[in-house]
Amino acid sequence: MSDTNHDNGQQLAVDIQGVGKRFKRSVDRRNSIKERIVRGRSRKPEDFWAVRGVSLQIPKGSVYGLIGHNGSGKSTLLKMIGGIYRPTEGSITTDGRVASLIELGAGFHPEMTGRENIHLNGSILGMAKKEIAAVTGEIIEFSGLGDFINDPVKHYSSGMYVRLGFSVAVHMKPEVLLIDEVLAVGDEEFQRKCFDHLYALRRSGRTIIVVSHGLGQLEGLCDEIAWLEHGQMQEFGAPTTTIAAYLRRVNSQEAARYPEVTAVRAAGEEARPGDQTLRVRTAAIVDADGNPLNHTETGSTFQFRIGFTTSEPVLGPNVRIALQHESGPLVTMIGNHRLGFDLGTVSGDNVVDVALVDNPLLPGRYRVHIDVFDFTGSRLLDSWNDAVEFAVRSQSGEIGQGFVQLPAQFRLG
Amino acid sequence: MLTDLYRQRALIGAFANRDFATRYRSSILGWAWSLIQPLAILVVFAAVFSLVFRIQAPDLGNGAGSSYAAFLFTGLVTWNLFAGLLNLSMTQLKSNGELLKKVQFPAWAPILGASIVQLIQVLLELAVLVVMFLWLRNVGWTWVLAIPILIGAALFAQGIGLVLSIINARFGDVQYIVAVVLSALYFLTPVLYPISMVDGQNELLSLVVKLNPMSWYVESMHEVMYSLVAPPALVIVALLVGGFLTFWAGLAIFNRGSEDIGELL
Repeated sequence: MSDTNHDNGQQLAVDIQGVGKRFKRSVDRRNSIKERIVRGRSRKPEDFWAVRGVSLQIPKGSVYGLIGHNGSGKSTLLKMIGGIYRPTEGSITTDGRVASLIELGAGFHPEMTGRENIHLNGSILGMAKKEIAAVTGEIIEFSGLGDFINDPVKHYSSGMYVRLGFSVAVHMKPEVLLIDEVLAVGDEEFQRKCFDHLYALRRSGRTIIVVSHGLGQLEGLCDEIAWLEHGQMQEFGAPTTTIAAYLRRVNSQEAARYPEVTAVRAAGEEARPGDQTLRVRTAAIVDADGNPLNHTETGSTFQFRIGFTTSEPVLGPNVRIALQHESGPLVTMIGNHRLGFDLGTVSGDNVVDVALVDNPLLPGRYRVHIDVFDFTGSRLLDSWNDAVEFAVRSQSGEIGQGFVQLPAQFRLG
Repeated sequence: MLTDLYRQRALIGAFANRDFATRYRSSILGWAWSLIQPLAILVVFAAVFSLVFRIQAPDLGNGAGSSYAAFLFTGLVTWNLFAGLLNLSMTQLKSNGELLKKVQFPAWAPILGASIVQLIQVLLELAVLVVMFLWLRNVGWTWVLAIPILIGAALFAQGIGLVLSIINARFGDVQYIVAVVLSALYFLTPVLYPISMVDGQNELLSLVVKLNPMSWYVESMHEVMYSLVAPPALVIVALLVGGFLTFWAGLAIFNRGSEDIGELL
């Protein structure tokens, strides 16, 4: 079963041929005998295919990523590779021991110590006693649990729990390692260790199949990525192109779902801080030509369009835009005074456009807060919190780390 | 099929280890409970049934009168072996559900592991029974025959337990039905009374008691341990082979039924 060949002569770790998995809807499952008797078996259960017609050749020693929306069938496919589900149709051939890292510490017993659980978990994952004994020290070392290893795991923090689970799973040296959404484990340092270990596993010729929503992580880790949607294969191949195709679909779907929603907001008459001699009326995200947008892209120029009204002429106002990332941190504050723009004396209804050239913001959602001060910077005229919110997406598939992509240049000296 | 069991002995052992280590871990008296419980039941039952219902036990094998407590305990140990394995097996798939949904391994491994721990409990009870008979000076070579009888009973119970566990994973009602059936069966097995008491009673009742396979195991235990009489060799062989066949069939049914266990739970 092992010597199936890839197109280019590589050995295959997993060969998936036209696989489909049909589930019966749980409404129709006769879960109790009473229901069986009362309703009989006659009514045909509504079936649905979680995965259908999927073929995939995963070469030995590669890192393969599976992406797709929730419910796209990627976890079902992973469970079939792991042998937990039997395919309804098609076939899956695997070469060597397959280990699932599907849920870390699933087999831990709370009353037993970490050490005892290593033994139990190793046995469940298919290791022999000797193998477990040989790697126990390494596992404890890797998990960084120290003396806690002899405490019952019910006293562990959730972080300690998953660290131990991860350590056990990656040390059992499977031929094929399945990972489902468990890469974000522990603190930065431990994550680093996990990735180093995964790379080391790959170097030693093991195959890793990983399901994740962390596109950026996958892009760096994977040799190839397959994209599933509604249980069917959409695309597979190089990470960058597959992720880009996936993101294009996500963007267009989202745009189609909310066609009328643009990031434009008009203020009401609510009370706000500041003396209101200048009051901001509208806030919008527009493109370079002034057309409203509902999202923008990293690297493309867009503008904040701020409309305001004054009750008396205002000399040289300082308009400040604070950008806050959805996760909380303040990304930056843009103000015309600091940047050396003088708006002159404004009166009546006015619009000010703030262009963000080659938008350096990385994908995510951002909230806009607007403050307006007088020319001295000491008198607050208006302060509008959460004026508008907008999304930044990526057309290229690059996700990046952090919030901004600074215009840096590299030169070999 | 049976070689799989041997190949996976480490896994079964790991589950047994887990259940052994955690069984009484959060209790102060620990494993002492495994003896306190049956002995407490023995005292209560012995008092009620010998003093209130005035059930007379048959004569001991050594001819020195009779002991209802010893008679009762012989039956109880055998019954506990049967009922304990059944009850424990039935709930194992559900209690290990999280694991079975996520990792692929033979689903019978946690069941057999749990059963091993239950068998240790039975051995402890058996040791108390032996001490009891030594004290009564009721000793005989027929005790050796208890080994095949108990092995047969354990295999018989495990076979049924495997089948029930897979049905229970599908239909949660089963464990409640089994609880009812087991408590009825308890009284339809000559544990509390000598089998001779049902002779000449209601014919149907007598028939049920005598056709109940557990009666055969319990009665044989009464004979070899209490009455010190050897049953015909054929009976011993039948009990052992019957137990083995039940186990074998149960395992086969279990294997077929557990193919989609990851989805069922």
